[in-house]
Amino acid sequence: MRGRTAAIAVSGLFAAAVLGGLAARGRRRPPARRTRRDHAARQLDWGAATLAGSVLFDSAIEHYRGSFEHLGMYVPLAVASASMATSLSGGRCPGQLRTGTSVAAMLAGVAGLGFHVYDISKRTGGWSWQNLFYAAPVGAPGALSLAGLIGLAAQQLRSGDWPSDQQSGRALAALASAGILGDVAEVWLLHFRGAFHNPAMYLPVTVPPAASLALAGIAVGAGRPTLQTTRGWLWATAATGLAGVGFHAWGVHRMMGGWRNWSQNLLDGPPLPAPPSYTGLAIAGLASLRMMEDRHD
Amino acid sequence: MSDDPMQTPRATKGRAPDVFMPGGWVPMREYREDEKVDFVIVGTGAGGGTLACKLAEAGFSVVAMDAGPYWRPLEDFASDESHQSKLYWTDDRIVDGLNPLQLGSNNSGKSVGGSTVHFAMVSLRFRPEWFKSRSKLGYGFDWPLDWREMWAYYREVEDALAISGPVNYPWGPPRPRYPYRAHQLNAAALALAEGCEAMGIPWTETPIATLSAPRGRARPCVYRGFCVLGCSTNAKQSALVTWIPRAIAAGAEIRDLAMVGRVEVDRSDRATGVHYHRNGNWRFQRARNVVVAGYAIETPRLLLNSASDRFPEGLANSSGLVGKYITVQSNQAVWGTSDKEIRSYKSPPSLALTEHWNYEDEGKDFHGGYCYMSQGPEPQLWANTLLSGRGLWGDALVSEMQNYNHVVGLKMVGEMLPQERNAVTLADETDQYGLPIPCVTYSWCDNDRAMIDHALGFMGQALRATDARDIWEQTDDTCHLNGGARMGDDPRTSVVDADCRSWDIPNLWICDGSVFPTVGGVNPSLTIQAIACRTGDRIAAMARRGEL
Repeated sequence: MRGRTAAIAVSGLFAAAVLGGLAARGRRRPPARRTRRDHAARQLDWGAATLAGSVLFDSAIEHYRGSFEHLGMYVPLAVASASMATSLSGGRCPGQLRTGTSVAAMLAGVAGLGFHVYDISKRTGGWSWQNLFYAAPVGAPGALSLAGLIGLAAQQLRSGDWPSDQQSGRALAALASAGILGDVAEVWLLHFRGAFHNPAMYLPVTVPPAASLALAGIAVGAGRPTLQTTRGWLWATAATGLAGVGFHAWGVHRMMGGWRNWSQNLLDGPPLPAPPSYTGLAIAGLASLRMMEDRHD
Repeated sequence: MSDDPMQTPRATKGRAPDVFMPGGWVPMREYREDEKVDFVIVGTGAGGGTLACKLAEAGFSVVAMDAGPYWRPLEDFASDESHQSKLYWTDDRIVDGLNPLQLGSNNSGKSVGGSTVHFAMVSLRFRPEWFKSRSKLGYGFDWPLDWREMWAYYREVEDALAISGPVNYPWGPPRPRYPYRAHQLNAAALALAEGCEAMGIPWTETPIATLSAPRGRARPCVYRGFCVLGCSTNAKQSALVTWIPRAIAAGAEIRDLAMVGRVEVDRSDRATGVHYHRNGNWRFQRARNVVVAGYAIETPRLLLNSASDRFPEGLANSSGLVGKYITVQSNQAVWGTSDKEIRSYKSPPSLALTEHWNYEDEGKDFHGGYCYMSQGPEPQLWANTLLSGRGLWGDALVSEMQNYNHVVGLKMVGEMLPQERNAVTLADETDQYGLPIPCVTYSWCDNDRAMIDHALGFMGQALRATDARDIWEQTDDTCHLNGGARMGDDPRTSVVDADCRSWDIPNLWICDGSVFPTVGGVNPSLTIQAIACRTGDRIAAMARRGEL
């Protein structure tokens, strides 16, 4: 029953974040003229919200699996929910609150990285494949920091503290590129643990790296690839993230008892909420491209 | 008609049980008894099951018989130790010698799939030098096989079983990466690791034949425990769910509840088929070749039982070595109680091991090697161990069983030396089929005792380096029967050649653990399957050259 209670609690958090965010947004009057800057900020919001949602559910499942052994394991749930709510609310949410939430997410992610590193290093065998596979996932909390960073960028952009220009676009492209690369490392590790038993498991370690590379090209101003090509890879990465949920649902079905045994297999099977982190990062990458095109605002 | 697979054969009427589906069936080719099939194989375990697959896939007509039932693990296996003893070969045997073996549980199997249905899945390669232990290490006998060739066949088996193993293996020459990644270690395995690190020797995750990711229609391991009493989820890659479905798909017929009592040989000294007991009758299957794969007791028993005017000492026995040099492995343990909850019965029982004393030759006062592994005894077995090992009974036993969740142990698999006096012979008494029952004689030698002493001392130190207390030694246990029809280069000193072909009768083959000249310090199943793969390839090659 604890499982059901926890599932209800997490769903409640998610619903509250979504509804709260959208309600705040709904009260906003539409601007007279939407600028590219607004579009880019909006897109960053969506990216941050998607990433935070992925973190919320993923950490909920994984930390529930770890029996919430420490109080700190609740932190990402709270912070990711708040981050999602403020991102979804868009410009309606007070700037200070948005900034505060984003900074909290960044810090919580960094702290999480520290805890996960500590968890691995104290185990028998230390930095071994065994512990990289099965201890707290070493890079996962970084996604929360990224959600915070992207949320912050949206806020800065909207408030005008940050110009929507080539330079900002490049910085954001670099961030998205690095974020995707970190995600790739995590996915590779866990899919390697699963011995790439399904050929589809290669997809998220081939498409997103291409997007990351293309974004890096944009970030350093290499002139190649074109924005159009990069945009294509980013859309493919976003799609890979969404398709991943479907593939992981298939993976749950292949565990003993399949979906009938959901309460066990959601914990032990491939994580359903993890893949959309790619989608969130790809959306942020697309926003950076939009800023690159911004010449007139 | 009864649907009890122990009473009524299931593989009949052109179909065999689908091991992946409760109540399911797969189509199976059947052969008439008067049809001379290319191969009749006696036994469907690690040797026979594997060879049936290889030969069927090479295009031969194959009938493989097993005295045991044909299970569907998903519906036939219970989480009950007593009930699951149905997987064991518990027919009458006589044991004697100075150290009589305890037969009938972990060292036997009576099922389609043989004892791989309940094996602990530990899948280790031989140390290369063991294939030439006489020339290179100065004890035992040389095998007629080259380790480099075996290395390739080990790979074939590891792929076929999707072995989950460590990314890097600490001992021996380089080997390719295991197909699947190692499982998460349980607390019992972590205790082994802690002990090894304290003793300054390497340890690793055990390469193990249970899935760490889905594969085909088999699900990954759910860490239920109970592995050595039959895996009810099919994560265990036994012959029953790997080689045998492949064999059937390639056109082999499996005959369950078919006890072979005699191999028939004609006047030109060629095997013509086997007499077998099924559905209450003795029957005869004609065959161009006969493969005996009944493991170290049933194989010599069948060969001795098939004695005729022309072969009064039994088939393939011109060397006099059929049934001789039975060699088991020492399986002693140290046990203790941890303050932590260990719950060692969850997960596969031996998730971590060290082969240090297999590969280290310095500091030993004995020949051969041993590995040791973490352990996870089921409750009934554990109560029996406390009774037999420490004489606990009544209140003392009940009280000690309260510590069951905290029990932690290390157990060796050690190389005993082959001795001619350790043998399978036939007794005068007969069993339910009217066949003479086997008598198994076993005595340890000084070298065996020296190794056991060394292992108990070392494992005790390692366990003491963890938080375990109340440490005690289980001094009398053995596992894994091998030998009894050993392979070699010389017909005078061996029963079969490197291709598992008997020297005396060219169309009689022996393919199981009984061909081992020495046993090494690792569990034998991977080597048995590798030999079967090699034999399958060799037979196919000989057939192409017209040498069968």
